[in-house]
Formats: sequence, C-alpha cells, structure tokens
Amino acid sequence: MNKADFVTSLFLIVLAISIILVSFQMPTFVDVGAHPLSAPGIVPSMLGVIIGIFGFILLIRSILHKGFTIKFSIKDIVIFFRNASIQRLIITLFWSILYVILLGKMNYFLLTFLFITFFIMSFEIKFFKKSIDNKKAIINALFIGIFISTVITLVFRYLFLVNLP
Amino acid sequence: MTPRLLFDVLWSTQVGIVVGMLPGLTATMGVALMTTLTYQFESEHAVLILICMYVGAIFGGSRTAILINIPGTPANAATTVDGNPLAKQGRAGYAMGIATTGSFLGSLFGILMLAIFTPIIGNAALKFHSFEYFWLAVFGIIISGSLTAPKDPIKGWISGFLGLFVATIGMESMHAYRRFSFGNVELAGGIELLPAMIGVFGFSEVLMVMKQPAIKVISNKIERVLPRFSDIKRYWQTILRSGFIGTIIGALPGVGEDIGAWVSYDFAKRASKEPEKYGKGSIEGLIAAETGNNAAVAGAIIPVLSLAVPGSAPAAVLLGAMLIHGIRPGPLLMIENPSFVYQVVAMTLLATCAMFVLGLSFTRVFVKILLIPKQRLMPIIFALCVIGSYALSAKMFDILVMAVFGLIGYGMKEMDYPVAPFVLGIILGDLLDSNLRRSLVLTNGNIGLFFTRPISLFLVLLIVFTIISKMKWFQIFWKSLTNKIGK
Repeated sequence: MNKADFVTSLFLIVLAISIILVSFQMPTFVDVGAHPLSAPGIVPSMLGVIIGIFGFILLIRSILHKGFTIKFSIKDIVIFFRNASIQRLIITLFWSILYVILLGKMNYFLLTFLFITFFIMSFEIKFFKKSIDNKKAIINALFIGIFISTVITLVFRYLFLVNLP
Repeated sequence: MTPRLLFDVLWSTQVGIVVGMLPGLTATMGVALMTTLTYQFESEHAVLILICMYVGAIFGGSRTAILINIPGTPANAATTVDGNPLAKQGRAGYAMGIATTGSFLGSLFGILMLAIFTPIIGNAALKFHSFEYFWLAVFGIIISGSLTAPKDPIKGWISGFLGLFVATIGMESMHAYRRFSFGNVELAGGIELLPAMIGVFGFSEVLMVMKQPAIKVISNKIERVLPRFSDIKRYWQTILRSGFIGTIIGALPGVGEDIGAWVSYDFAKRASKEPEKYGKGSIEGLIAAETGNNAAVAGAIIPVLSLAVPGSAPAAVLLGAMLIHGIRPGPLLMIENPSFVYQVVAMTLLATCAMFVLGLSFTRVFVKILLIPKQRLMPIIFALCVIGSYALSAKMFDILVMAVFGLIGYGMKEMDYPVAPFVLGIILGDLLDSNLRRSLVLTNGNIGLFFTRPISLFLVLLIVFTIISKMKWFQIFWKSLTNKIGK
C-alpha cells in the first residue's frame, strides 16, 4: 500500500496545485461591486491547500516507508494479467464501458439485450471446449437477456415515461 | 392507512431484505436505485418506499453474514463474528431469529429517539447562523473520515475534502460563475448527486463483486427461526445499550450503520459476563451487532430531518431523494412542515414491523436467492445503474458521470479510501461554500467570530479533539493518563 500511497500522494499534490492555479484565475466580481471575500475562487483554493497538505503528508509517510521504490518488470505484468480476479475485472470493465459508449448510438432494448447476454456468456461459456453445458449457458444467457431487457425497457418507457437513450 | 400502502410497505421491505442479502448490493445502492424507480410517485409515498428499502436492506445483510460468513452490507460485518459460528453449529435458523429480533428492537429504540430528538435538534439548529453551518460541514467531513477509516483517518479526510471539491464544480450560488467547467456546458451545470452516488456505490460495487471469487453457501438448512423469549429477556441490558449506542453513532454525520454495529459489539463484549463466548457463537454478541446497526438507521435519519446532514451513506441518498421530491429537510422543516417529521417516524415504524414479520417468515424461500450466480445478477444491476442515472433528467452526461464516479469509487476502495466521506463531501459542499463566503462577507474578513460564538466554539473544539485523538502521541499520552488514574 505504501507504493500506491506514493503514487496517490503525487496525484493529490498535482491536483491541489491545479485547483489553486485555476481558482486564482477566477474573477472576483469586485468591479461590479461585490465583496472581494465572496469571490468564487475562495473555497476551491482553500480546499486545494488542504488537499495539498494531506497529499504532502501522505508523500512523506510513503517515502519514510520506502514507497518510492517502484519497479516494473514484464514478468510482474504477465503475472498481474494472468490473475483470475484481474481477468474477471477486465471483462466486466470491457462490457460495461462498451455499453455506456454505445448508449444512444443504437436501439436501447437491443443494446441492453446484447450487453446482458454477452456479459453472462463471457463468464459461463467454456471457450475451446464443446459441451452441452455451453449450449445450456447460451440458452440461459439469451433468455435472461431478452427477459430483463424487455422488463427494463417496458417499465421505464411506459410506466415511468422515460425517453430511453 | 390503505391496503395499497400496506402492500407497498411489504414489497419494498422485502426487496430491501433481498438487496441486503445479496453480497455486493448495499443498502445505499438499493435506496439509490429505488429513488429512480419512485421519482414519479407522490413525495410521501416515495419516501415511505425508500425508508422500507433502507430498513430492510440493513437487516437483510444479516442473512448472508450468518449463512456464508460474508456481510450482505457493510453494516452486517460485526454480525459475521458470532452469527456464522452459530450457523456452523447447526443453529442458522435460530441465529436468524435472534438477528431479526435484535434488529426489530434496535430499530424501535432508534424510532423513539427519532421522534424525541429530531424536533429538539431542529429547534436548536434554528439558532445556527452561517458560521455554525460552516463548522457543521467541516465537522461532518472530519468525523466521517475518522470513523470510516479508523486505521488511517487521513485517507478518510482526503476522501471527504475531495468530495467537497467535486461539489464546487459547476455554477456557484453567489455570482452564478461556472467553476471548473472549462467551457463545457454539461460541467457548468455541476455534478448531479444521484448519478455520482449510483456510480460510487453501484458501479464500483459491481466491479468489486465481479473481481472477487464465487461464494459458496455453507448452510441453507433452516430449522427453528423464532427466538426464545428468555434469550431476549436475558440480554435486555445489551439491547438497550446497543440501541442507544447505535442511535448516537447513526446520528453522527456520514458515519453509518457499520460503525454503529462494531461499537455496540465492542461495548457489549466489554460489559459481558461471558466474553469468552464472543467470536464462537455468542447470542449476546449477535444481538448487540444487529441491535446496533438497525438503531443506527433511525439515528441516521435524525440529522437528515433536523440539519439536512446525512448520518450515513443510505441516509445521504434518502436526503437527496427528499430534495428531488421537493421536501426541504433542515431546521425550517419544523416550521414549514412539522407533521412530516412524525410521518417519517410512522414510516420507519411501519418498515420495522414489516421487517420483523418478513424476517421471521419466508426464510427458507428467500435464502435460495443467495444461489443466483453473480455473473447473472451484476449485468442487470449495471443496466439499472445506467438507466437509473439517466431517468431523472434524461441526460447522457449523467450516465457518463455515473461511469466515471464508479471508476473513481472502485479506485478509492482498492486503495483503502472510504467512499462515504467522499459522498458526504459532495452533499455538504454547497453548505460549506455558501456559508463560509457569507460569513466572511458579514464579518468583513474578521475570522474571530468563527471561533467566539458559543456553538461555533463547541464545534471547533469537537473538530480539534477528533483530529488530535487520532494522533499517535495523543493516544500514548491518553493511555498513560488513564493508567495513572486507574492506579
């Protein structure tokens, strides 16, 4: 966690400096008779300073615990991506983000059906193996996909009168 | 009271129990998704359904905690310590009965406190000026950060201040200036609370759950569920103590039911005549944890109604839902709509009764829900997160906000940053911003008044004490001091 804290602290410090710089560029509205202490940049700059201080404390702490010794090797990256948890996470991220990107670009019902079906299939089908289980998994995924996308579409379109994306 | 109302109470509480039971689906996510499903309902009706969902979900998590040793919601983490050993001893049904009764009694205690203290705190808050509101917002962030990240409070505070920063994005209230929008029209409108919350609590949970390996139900054989009256009578002191602690913890801004359960459990163990049984299937420990977390539900609603400051993450969503429905919680509620406070008390009581009845019935049927594979459930949850974020204002930008905040929430959880202070920061951001600038203008920059007004001074001292109490040198000093006094 010290290595992660080291990276996070650098991110926080950069974020804090950016917030302060942008806040100082905000208008004060003094020229239109406003009180200078009501300027829109006051609170963000104060928050920037506080986030910066916390980031600095985190940085010092991670350096004291040798969090700056970050080393990457191809072997570590391969091990990382071979981890089953990471693979499950990547598949989930892939389908979820693709679903968000395609929303509004194709029919909502069709997209939701495809998303749910492919999501389930990608976890339940044993690729490179022909088996009855795979056929069952495909039928299950298709059924769940059609049923859920129909229910969501009908409920939101006709019960809650939402113009679907 | 109409049949339709009773029906709504029953189904929404049952849905809450199911949401709470399923690992990965939290009470916050359930209340947030239900907000999108009820936003076209009448305000009182929608709030009733959300409260039922909230009460049901916090209780429902105990089922999973007992049966598979995984808390259904974070609020039930303390329940696993004694609940699961009881299940392993073949007493899963009895443990569920005890958990149901503890939750019921804890909730009743919390409701009593809700009815008594909401008007008192609300009336006291009428004396608050902008100075006090500013410090209240700071106190909320500090106490929430301290208690949700007890091992490393600095991460809790960072999370809270990042939330406050997010709240400054978009048009500010004094000069209508668009902060941090960089010419983007959508960003100029600010970050909507609900899509951000659905992302932080919904999408991030989908990612966390999918990353974890599959879980196995170790016991789904349910025998006797009804608890013995003698057990309940025997532990009446524990119930009262846990109810009181749970309510107080719940009422602290942004702290929540999980801490309520742990603190109640800890106090019960210290006061117990048989502490050696704790962790091995102690009935007393199980009662303490479940009484504490459900008492915290009603406790968390107290500051929502009286100060418009949420006591927990699900209460934050409840507050957001009230605002969406045109209800303005806060000190003026007791003047503008005093009956609403008692309506909420009645709603929580109805939800509690429904939880008790449903908790002791249909046990065998609903436990089977735990057998649904996560890869079938999570895409459905994500599709609901997407359409739920979109439904409120039909903006594609809100879906993007949900997705981005989901990734931020996931990153924070992986790095041990609690997300509750982050969301609390988004909620309290406007309160802090407008009241700080108003106070500075009123005093013409004289910050003395921030520290010399009695309530302000009290809040400042609380903040300072909360921060100092987390420092190592203070903890060593305090330990040596208490040891000396002990001798």
